[in-house]
Amino acid sequence: MPLFVKSRSFLRNLFRSRSVEADLDLEVHSYLEMLTEENIRADMAPQEAARAARIELGGVEKVKEQVREERIGNWLHSVLSDCRYGLRQLRKNPGFTAVAVLTLSLGIGANTALFSVIDAVLLRPLPFHDPRRLVAVHSIDLRYSGQTGEISYPAFLDWRRQSHSFEAMSVWTNSSFNYTGGDQAESIRGAVVSANLFSLLGVAPTLGRTFIEEEDRLGAGQTPVILSYELWQSHFGGDPNVLGRSLTLDDDKYTVVGVMPALFQFPVQSERVELWITIAHDLKGKNAPATERGVAYLQVIARLKRGVEISQAKSDIQLVQEQLNHQYPDNRPRGVAMLSESDQIAGDMRPVLMFLLGAVGFVLLIACANVASLLLARATVRQKEFTVRAALGASRSAIIRQLLVEGALLAFLGGGMGLLFAHWATRALIAMAPEGLARMSEVTLDFRVLAFTFIVALATGVLFGLAPAVQAARTDLNRMLVASGRGSGTGFEGARLRNALVVSQLAIAFVLLIGAGLLLHSFNRLRHVDPGFLPDHVLTFLLDVPSERHPGAQRAGFVRALLQSTRALPGVKSASAIFGLPLADDQSAFTSLEIEGHPVPNSQRPRVAFRLIESEYFHTMGIRLVDGRTFAPQDEQGGPPLAIVNETFVRNLLHGDNPLGHRIKPNISFGDNDEAAMREIVGIVADVRSGSINGDAPPEVYAPQTSVDFIGETTIVVRTATDPNSLIPTMRSLVGSMDKELPVREVKTLDQYVSDSISTQRFEALLLGTIAALAFILTTIGLYGVISYSVVQRTREMGIRIALGAQQQSISFMVLSAGAVLTLIGIGTGLAASLFAVGLLRGLLYGIQPIDPATFIAVPLLLMAVALLASYIPARRATRVDPMVALRYE
Amino acid sequence: MNPEPTTLLQGTLDLLILKSLVAGEMHGLGISRRIQQITGGTFDVKPGSLFPALHRMEEEGWISSFWGDSENNRRAKYYRLTKPGRKQLDVETKRWGRISWAIAQALEAS
Repeated sequence: MPLFVKSRSFLRNLFRSRSVEADLDLEVHSYLEMLTEENIRADMAPQEAARAARIELGGVEKVKEQVREERIGNWLHSVLSDCRYGLRQLRKNPGFTAVAVLTLSLGIGANTALFSVIDAVLLRPLPFHDPRRLVAVHSIDLRYSGQTGEISYPAFLDWRRQSHSFEAMSVWTNSSFNYTGGDQAESIRGAVVSANLFSLLGVAPTLGRTFIEEEDRLGAGQTPVILSYELWQSHFGGDPNVLGRSLTLDDDKYTVVGVMPALFQFPVQSERVELWITIAHDLKGKNAPATERGVAYLQVIARLKRGVEISQAKSDIQLVQEQLNHQYPDNRPRGVAMLSESDQIAGDMRPVLMFLLGAVGFVLLIACANVASLLLARATVRQKEFTVRAALGASRSAIIRQLLVEGALLAFLGGGMGLLFAHWATRALIAMAPEGLARMSEVTLDFRVLAFTFIVALATGVLFGLAPAVQAARTDLNRMLVASGRGSGTGFEGARLRNALVVSQLAIAFVLLIGAGLLLHSFNRLRHVDPGFLPDHVLTFLLDVPSERHPGAQRAGFVRALLQSTRALPGVKSASAIFGLPLADDQSAFTSLEIEGHPVPNSQRPRVAFRLIESEYFHTMGIRLVDGRTFAPQDEQGGPPLAIVNETFVRNLLHGDNPLGHRIKPNISFGDNDEAAMREIVGIVADVRSGSINGDAPPEVYAPQTSVDFIGETTIVVRTATDPNSLIPTMRSLVGSMDKELPVREVKTLDQYVSDSISTQRFEALLLGTIAALAFILTTIGLYGVISYSVVQRTREMGIRIALGAQQQSISFMVLSAGAVLTLIGIGTGLAASLFAVGLLRGLLYGIQPIDPATFIAVPLLLMAVALLASYIPARRATRVDPMVALRYE
Repeated sequence: MNPEPTTLLQGTLDLLILKSLVAGEMHGLGISRRIQQITGGTFDVKPGSLFPALHRMEEEGWISSFWGDSENNRRAKYYRLTKPGRKQLDVETKRWGRISWAIAQALEAS
């Protein structure tokens, strides 16, 4: 019962404080009036009576205050009133408040956003059963670096049969399918996988079943397909009766046997896969890729047996591979690499992201240092206020409570804005993410980090907010009052601490600027690399001409006819086609090569990039012909087999001999009855950065597209006079008019390929650039604050100096040199630190050294210039001090 | 002879207020005058101590309040004893008995 009464009173005091107050007011007044009446009855004059009553009462407000202090929940009221007072203080100093809140929110927001990305991409476990036992196994060609570790299907089957460390092992490869079930032909991304993939991952379907073992082999009756939840929703309206439905992909019939759960993704990569079929797809027909031991195109994922370490499993599979190398001497010898699936997916983004996380952590440090030095500066200004309050009887605890509340208020405002900022920044990061960054779709705002950074901000606000209380506690009231009245140099220790903070900020900003400068410089180098072709004004798209509707020579004829019509279009300068477009990494074909007159064993033959082109290709791409000639249309019609090679080919494989007339044999065959042919070199073209923009060109061999049995897949390249994007609808309808079931895929300009190929570097440079800029701005604000504060503090001294005849120059020199000294110490410290830090960036740089003279000259100059500017404004203010005003100051 | 008004011992005020309310509901001034009366003018409770005590005791649930009309038809806030208040009066009375006995003992000892 009393508890009930108490809590009711508490709630009433808290939420109906206005009516509680009114009640109290009435009560006290009624008391006063009754007292007056009593006095009148005792024969006092009315005025005298009222006076006596008021004396007895002892002041209405005082009585009310005494009642308030007795109330339950009084402490809460004090905190609330402290908050009100604190907010008023913050409003009274909008400059201070804005800078402190903005600083905190930038620090909190940037950290939260970047960590959210890192958490999703690197830290969060993969959404599969017991993901720590999942590994990626690579088969490495020992004679050729720079590959992604694919294996051939026969070799994989040997791995699976002969190894003992794995619970299960699957292959997968990306593929895309021409889906003709809907209104118009459409290309759908899918994957060709082992039947046991889903059980290996430990993910059950939402509907139906996953594949069964026999479906890996041909002739298992129906050919099954499993749909993603998203495809099921978008193309089948989420129909529960979809199981058993028939689906036409690339003119083959598939039966839907299952639907995976929403958001299920495998392979984990930036482009979603919408359906899965079994490896049986690659076993049928002549030259089926999965039947050839020499055709390595499959990725391997495996689940380790419980208790088996990666290193054990690796040596297990290594043994199997060595056996295979022995058993098949005609194949190039291969090694094995193995890494956890999560490392595989994070790829080479891990060091970059960790570096950025470190950088953004330093920004938080700078932000906190800024707020700390702002609070310290303000503390000195407010010392008098607190001394006066203490002298008037405010208890130490009341002052401390108020400072705590003010610090917390700043942190809360900063945290709130930080949340907003983090939200925007996360979205921006997702939008900017390069293609290589998988799992970006899993990124969500990380509230644990938000909480952590917020607590750091809160601690800063509270800790440094308390500074005046600490100072007040240390000093004698009387002396403080006298001293602050004179406005002499108080808070010497505060000044030293602030200087130390600014120097460390400058040092951190310096290191970050160096890092950003290096990445930007390197990125700029990369942007101006000559790719060997002219990427502007070229539209490209991929066609996959199915042999079912365009059998034999008709396939090549189809492409030729399309090119003919394209060249006739207005705005088209030239058009051609290639299999193996530069910078389109999934479109490259490598082969081993024989050179006539240089017999070597099969396993020691050089590897070359092999590309199939239509006539006018070099002209359309803007690739320079170095010597000899290009292909003429008639070369492609049954004449002697010809080849064109690049300069690297000549340099590396022919040792600079004149290649014209040499004969070579790329061991590649595409068609059903095609034998690799000996080809005569008729031309040499300039090198093209085909694999990546920062890699060297491999030796390349070009052959006419139709001289081998045309494989169906080719990229059309069209050079236009106007914006190439404006040609897209025309090209789509042109292809549609020739075959309405043929989808146009990968529509991109050549400029886009170039830009995508450096998207990771752009992401890195942009992010570190932004972070460094943030650090730079915050540091400048911090320096400006410290210098201008010291000017305010020394107003009286300046006044005296001016009164004694000091020149304006000498005054501004005095202030400027104070700023310059701090900056020089900061830069010196930063320089020492960055000599270590740049080592971390070594792997990310292209075309420049980590100790890049341009960056190491530009950054100190920039920092020095801005620091002087930040000191110049207060310095000018110092010279304008009117000695009379200064001496009367305070 | 009017004895010197004495400062109240800590805790004594609650006891006096509770005791004065046994006679019936009363407003603040009434309680003050009643205490003066029953202590023979020894204790003159000023509003500065009376009001905080009343509000605290109301929050404790020992007394309850309502608005009524005074003898002179003036709006006044009246207080009355609650059931827990009577219990508290018992407790305080016993405690006070022990204290005064102890003090008396102490003074008698030589």
